[in-house]
Amino acid sequence: MRFRLIIPALVGLGSQLAHAEKLAVEKDELKFGFIKLTDCAPIVIAKEKGFFEDEGLQVEVIAQSNWKVLLDNVITGNLDGAHMLSGQPIAATIGIGTEAHIVTPYTLDLNGNAITVSNSIWEQMQENDPDLDSDTPEHPISADALKPITEDMLAEGKKLQMGMVFPVSTHNYELRYWLAAAGIHPGYYSKTDVAGRTDAEVELSVTPPPQMPATLEAGTISGYCVGEPWNQQAVAKGIGVPVVTNYEIWKNNPEKVFGVTKKWADENPNTIVAVTKALIRAGKWLDETVDGKLVNREEACRILSQPNYVGADFEVIKNSMTGTFAFQKSDIQDMPDFNVFFKHDCSYPWYSDGVWFLTQMRRWGQITETKPASWYAETAKKIYLPDVYMKAAESLISEGHLAEDELPKTTDGYKPATKDFIDGNEFDGKKPIEYLNSFKIGIKDDPSMATK
Amino acid sequence: MEFKYKILKGIDISGLNFLSPVVRLATGEEPAKQLREIGRFIVVPIIAFLAFLWLWSVVAPKHKTKAGEVPTPAVVWDATGGIWRFHEYETQKDQAYQLTGGTRLDTLGKAKARMAELDALEARAKEQLAAAEASSKEKFDARVAPSKKAYDDAREASKDARRTRTEALKAEAAQLAGATPEQRETFLNHLRDADAAAEAEKKSLDGLKAAYADAQTVTFPETKDARRTVTVLAEERQFLVKYLDMLGDNSREAKVADAKAKAEEARSAFLNAGPDEDLYKLGSTVLKRQELLATTAASQYAKPWTLPKQIVRSLLCVFSGFLLASFIAIPIGILCGLSPTFMAATTPFVALFKPVSPLVWLPIIMIIVGGFMPDPENHWLIVLLGKVPFLGNYKIDPMFLSSAITVALCSLWATLVNTALGVGSVDKDHMNVARVLRLGFWSRLFKIVIPTALPLIFAGLRISLGVGWMVLVAAEILSTSEGIGKFVNDMYTNGSSQSFAQMFVVVFIVGFIGMALDRIMVVFQRLVSFETAGSTL
Repeated sequence: MRFRLIIPALVGLGSQLAHAEKLAVEKDELKFGFIKLTDCAPIVIAKEKGFFEDEGLQVEVIAQSNWKVLLDNVITGNLDGAHMLSGQPIAATIGIGTEAHIVTPYTLDLNGNAITVSNSIWEQMQENDPDLDSDTPEHPISADALKPITEDMLAEGKKLQMGMVFPVSTHNYELRYWLAAAGIHPGYYSKTDVAGRTDAEVELSVTPPPQMPATLEAGTISGYCVGEPWNQQAVAKGIGVPVVTNYEIWKNNPEKVFGVTKKWADENPNTIVAVTKALIRAGKWLDETVDGKLVNREEACRILSQPNYVGADFEVIKNSMTGTFAFQKSDIQDMPDFNVFFKHDCSYPWYSDGVWFLTQMRRWGQITETKPASWYAETAKKIYLPDVYMKAAESLISEGHLAEDELPKTTDGYKPATKDFIDGNEFDGKKPIEYLNSFKIGIKDDPSMATK
Repeated sequence: MEFKYKILKGIDISGLNFLSPVVRLATGEEPAKQLREIGRFIVVPIIAFLAFLWLWSVVAPKHKTKAGEVPTPAVVWDATGGIWRFHEYETQKDQAYQLTGGTRLDTLGKAKARMAELDALEARAKEQLAAAEASSKEKFDARVAPSKKAYDDAREASKDARRTRTEALKAEAAQLAGATPEQRETFLNHLRDADAAAEAEKKSLDGLKAAYADAQTVTFPETKDARRTVTVLAEERQFLVKYLDMLGDNSREAKVADAKAKAEEARSAFLNAGPDEDLYKLGSTVLKRQELLATTAASQYAKPWTLPKQIVRSLLCVFSGFLLASFIAIPIGILCGLSPTFMAATTPFVALFKPVSPLVWLPIIMIIVGGFMPDPENHWLIVLLGKVPFLGNYKIDPMFLSSAITVALCSLWATLVNTALGVGSVDKDHMNVARVLRLGFWSRLFKIVIPTALPLIFAGLRISLGVGWMVLVAAEILSTSEGIGKFVNDMYTNGSSQSFAQMFVVVFIVGFIGMALDRIMVVFQRLVSFETAGSTL
């Protein structure tokens, strides 16, 4: 009987807030793809908590086997949108790999990755740095203790093998950043070397996230950088030791985005706003705190552990999503910001995030030519859609689902310059060329490009 | 009597020969002989299967992998229950969304009652889990403590020993200033000895560490069971929360009522609007709201794929591929059989493409099919197939077509070769008679060639279907086309404690369906065969 009582109330509300009209979505049955990683949470939560339904959308959420298949399915139209690596829309748009114009109105999360090394590498690192030989070593752990190992291997004519999930993934750039910060060269990409191994002291290769633990155990790779739950899985199974999280490499770095094709966004201008609205509500729900405690995460872990979503054991997902991170069974650290879905203006599509990825693509040679600073800004503007985000947010404010002060305070879509990196280097999204030239290891561009 | 022979004939044709002694026994024919036969063809296989189950349940727990223990039959059975539960939950949600009126309110009441029960159940399960965890923690500590102590002590001892050795060597080195080369050589030997000692200590330490790690791998069944109960209840709560929502405020009925009220309101606002109001705006609001009402009324719950539905889709896919293969292979096979020249022309293709793996075909086919369908949802073929009754419910997409074509490409060879063989082996005398009777090409084909070749054609089709079924699962894994293969891949990537057992469930399902398909083809093969040859397994 409850709904009968509610209707008059709703109708009353509807006439008062004439602008809170439901969006007339162009398409109401949608298919979104995702990879089985905990950071797909906003999409799954928006479905399970009924936020999509509130926008009049019926969404099917479909697991994809790897990032390439996922991207292809979005491009060919088998999927309407998907959980993507931040680098994917950028790479697709500028033509690294499959070329297609992909845009994003929403950043799904911050942080959430870690680098895990095998037990034997960990032991050797402990030998190199006795401070690590403890049940609770001090964090962050740099790759300094890894350098002698790679040098020994090089002397024997071997190269340390490590895994990451995709050539344009955050994981690739983070792993490279961590290695390079300790003076280990992870290798350049070039027109002829698409594996990115020119000058490499450590060779990186692509392994799908769910297969990381098995590949590490088999000894094909000695370490990897991947999202959750695959680092916690390594701890749970006792096959490796996470040494550093990406939160420690770059505090609050953008991780995944929600991507659609430009064509889809143009054809469905209301639908994309409706989807963004539901995602913002999901992100907010995920980060809801009472007295500083994340209150909805446990329920979120339960939902994610369903076999059609992430499907890993509840206990394993819980380890990383409820504010702690287990480096070893004996070393469980509080890390309230390991998974951020809404705080720190996380979900806003920042142009500066796009510029950071572009600089890394240039730093490692995936972008083969010198580009002027203006190109970085223009490219980011082609991909990130803050207008859609703001439209969705304003609509949510008028409906009372969002408060005015929860909007990011920005006028130009750039985050302020930051030094929150493991090597203390400063990144300013407006100075890409200066940033590129500030690295010891990496391709450098002509400083005159900065003003072009 | 007449009836008995009919049954026996039916049994013979269907290849279920093991049943015939039962029929004969029931009619009292040579009881002693029939009992012996029953013993051999029914009891022995059952015993063998039971023995297999027993062996499995004994051996499986012995092999520990990092993904957990190899599941026993009981665990696999439990996983089957889990898969089924998930299917039930999703089906119920789907139905809940469409319920209306009294039925909906009744169901809502029942679900609320169950929710109330759940609180107590969950509280008890959590208590039990806490107790089990506490007791197993004690046991765990007790079990791990000795090996941990041994390892820690040895590590400390080794550290001390190394320090002492280094100090001694350093002291020795300090006195080497005025030493002879021989004495210096001796010092080098001492250094070497110290290294060897450190190496040996490290080895024994490694052994102790392995023992410590091994002790830590112990699991406690009572904790596992308690956790399982908690998980099952938590899953049910998860389901009920959503279920209640879909029966209540978020049911289609409630949403339609809401949308209707809004549409009515807009209409009356438009009709009764004064002259100074924006009639254009009010009018378009009416249209917008009416449209919203229509989409709401037609909306469906986006139900995720569950294994039973995936199985049906896989079957549809394999049959589509199989039909396609037959349409290609049989005509070409007949031509090959009729004309040695044509056969010579085809042989290189058959030889070249037959051994190609489905894993090679699939990506190629996917790209080609994708090229034909830039906008798959509006492509005429997809729209057409979506309208076919039954088939339309299974979301035919380019992935489905690619998988079906891959199945066809891999399975058509058996049919092609067998057809050619069958047609080629038509009796020369029959052909001569046909020539004497001046039969035309088509009557010769349909009256003599095909009937003679039919048993071999069907033998080929049977192999093709078997191959197709095996290929399909691989194709689905690679193309992420919904079906059994996708299920296996999803479970593998889930990597949860249930995944391993769920994959075993699939082994049995795939095996069982494969067997059923084979039996069906056997029946067809027998129906077209003239000779009643012995059963082929």
